[in-house]
Amino acid sequence: MDLTPYGLPKNVVFCKYCVISNQRPSSTIEFAQKISESKKTIDFDDEKVCSACRFNDAKNLDINWGDRESNLLTLLEKHRKGDGSYDVIVPGSGGKDSAFTSHILKYKYGMNPLTVTWAPHKYTEIGWENFENWIHVGGLDNVLFTPNGKLHRYLTQQAFLNLLHPFQPFIIGQRTIGPAMAAKFGVNLVMYGENQAEYGNNIEENGTPIMDQKFFSGGDIGSLFIGGKSVKDIIDEGKFSLNDFSPYLPPSTKFLKSKSVEVHYLGFYVKWDPQECYYYAVEHTGFQSNSERTEGTYSKYSSIDDKIDMFHYYTTLVKFGIGRATYDAAQEIRNGKITREEGVNLVEKYDLEFPKKYFQEFLDYIDISEDLFHETIDKFRSPHLWTKEAGEWQLRNPVWRDQALN
Amino acid sequence: MSRLRLVARLDIKGSNLIKGIHLEGLRIIGAPNEYALKYYAQGIDELIYMDCVASLYGRNHLGEIIKSAAKDIFIPMTVGGGVRSVDDAREILRAGADKVAINTAAVLNPNIISKIAHQFGSQCTVVSIEAKQIGIDRWEVFTNNGRERTGIDVVYWAKTCVSNGAGELLVTSIDREGTRKGFDISLLKAISSEVSVPIIASGGMGRPEHLVAAAKDGGVDAVAMADILHYGRTDLSTIRSKALEAGLMVRNFPSLEVPS
Repeated sequence: MDLTPYGLPKNVVFCKYCVISNQRPSSTIEFAQKISESKKTIDFDDEKVCSACRFNDAKNLDINWGDRESNLLTLLEKHRKGDGSYDVIVPGSGGKDSAFTSHILKYKYGMNPLTVTWAPHKYTEIGWENFENWIHVGGLDNVLFTPNGKLHRYLTQQAFLNLLHPFQPFIIGQRTIGPAMAAKFGVNLVMYGENQAEYGNNIEENGTPIMDQKFFSGGDIGSLFIGGKSVKDIIDEGKFSLNDFSPYLPPSTKFLKSKSVEVHYLGFYVKWDPQECYYYAVEHTGFQSNSERTEGTYSKYSSIDDKIDMFHYYTTLVKFGIGRATYDAAQEIRNGKITREEGVNLVEKYDLEFPKKYFQEFLDYIDISEDLFHETIDKFRSPHLWTKEAGEWQLRNPVWRDQALN
Repeated sequence: MSRLRLVARLDIKGSNLIKGIHLEGLRIIGAPNEYALKYYAQGIDELIYMDCVASLYGRNHLGEIIKSAAKDIFIPMTVGGGVRSVDDAREILRAGADKVAINTAAVLNPNIISKIAHQFGSQCTVVSIEAKQIGIDRWEVFTNNGRERTGIDVVYWAKTCVSNGAGELLVTSIDREGTRKGFDISLLKAISSEVSVPIIASGGMGRPEHLVAAAKDGGVDAVAMADILHYGRTDLSTIRSKALEAGLMVRNFPSLEVPS
């Protein structure tokens, strides 16, 4: 049988430059995601190099960053407003990447950004401090949008139970909020930080700065799925109304076109380095790294604002065999911060670590029992990736035992 | 007049000298021994080499770097990171280090301090303490380059280390590390008032005045510097003259040309 859950390749292959495997899915249109969906995965070439690493080579060698910056200036000129009103929307959390994006747009390029935040599920203390410092120290305006928590918890629960993708409702909100706020405030430009395509989407998408509208604008309500359930069915069940869903409903392409909203990535125009964003954010927006590393990885400065964040990566580990340390190490190898050898060791040490710290809060948030949690996790474990040895689930082909490379 | 030693701290990862903020976001600075030689020529009193990925591999990788440094550099060198046993310590001392620094292994088993001190002497047994503030005048001991908490109180731990035979404490404030905001004086004072061994302050040196505060108010015997030197924000002769002006006794050293 060549069939695997999620349509993943049957044989696990690791990139010979970084530590990502061919099991890594590309970004999907979250609104359309159903239970049976099979995923597109990261491209590997004949030399066993992933498309993210190939793109990184291009980033270092082929791209003329001087030209790109002039393109940015042209774009900003086109949207710049001299009447003191907002001229660019920057969605973000006040983490190092959005802090860099918004601050540089305002203080280097003289734009009038409005930052917008789709609230995390549950703020961590450090996340809230960094959010506040972004605005208070960094000197920016912000709209913090918090969706109906009762519905958000329900959707997160359904997304966990039906798709093992508890972050799906959050991702939808995060992608919708920028363009939606742009339309509301009469702003034509939305600027995200890094291009998600860099990390393993189709390489052809990296040549264009505009976020594919399929990611954030959809059709009518009948075609919308969140948490593996049709929105229409959820409303028919009677607990939630169409109005409750309004923050999740993607602005239609037609609407966005009539308002001529463009979505761009700063990472297309300036050479992106997450670590340098950290230095910039510490210097300019009072950003602080966490007091200890995040469970499942070694880093303490990325994605630290949400108490249930580690369960996103824990579920990618279960479904694709790719945990948080793998994502972090792959990125750091590409950016020349660590060697592949160090990356492999970090993955071995941290990738499979269970996130204990906020486990009970996660269970309470999505209102399920510990038993149901484990039952669901095991149901979604891909058999071609996992095997049970002495009562413990182990990866069949972890990167640290990869004979082909090590 | 109180004496003060000026120490350059070199955090090493693989073959590179690195530097972070709060021990995170480790930027590659360059080749460790180029920097070591530069600081030596400028009259630094001591060097600290810290292997900050040692715990990942379970061993210290600095042997070769130390051997090569020891050929040209004749000031005390402290080497830490991944020291788990008396044998590890012996290997590092044989490579040319004068002192060994222990952190994680000591937290796991404080007896390792007395074993190393018994074998090689307290004068070469340094305990490295990574401290993070957790309340008013309260700090917690961290390990693994500031990534893992231990639940141990810093002042209690400092006293335990000394009673086990530590001859010197290297105290790093994670909150100040890489920030250039000055040393955590309350932390240094809390420790120096409780122990009698020399203390090296680390984390936060951004201007020469910071070192004066560490010595006079923090009660330390030495200050470790990284950011200020690696990024060339100030040179050692300026630091030295500011210290002398403030009435601190630092080694008089004629400035030399930096070898290129």
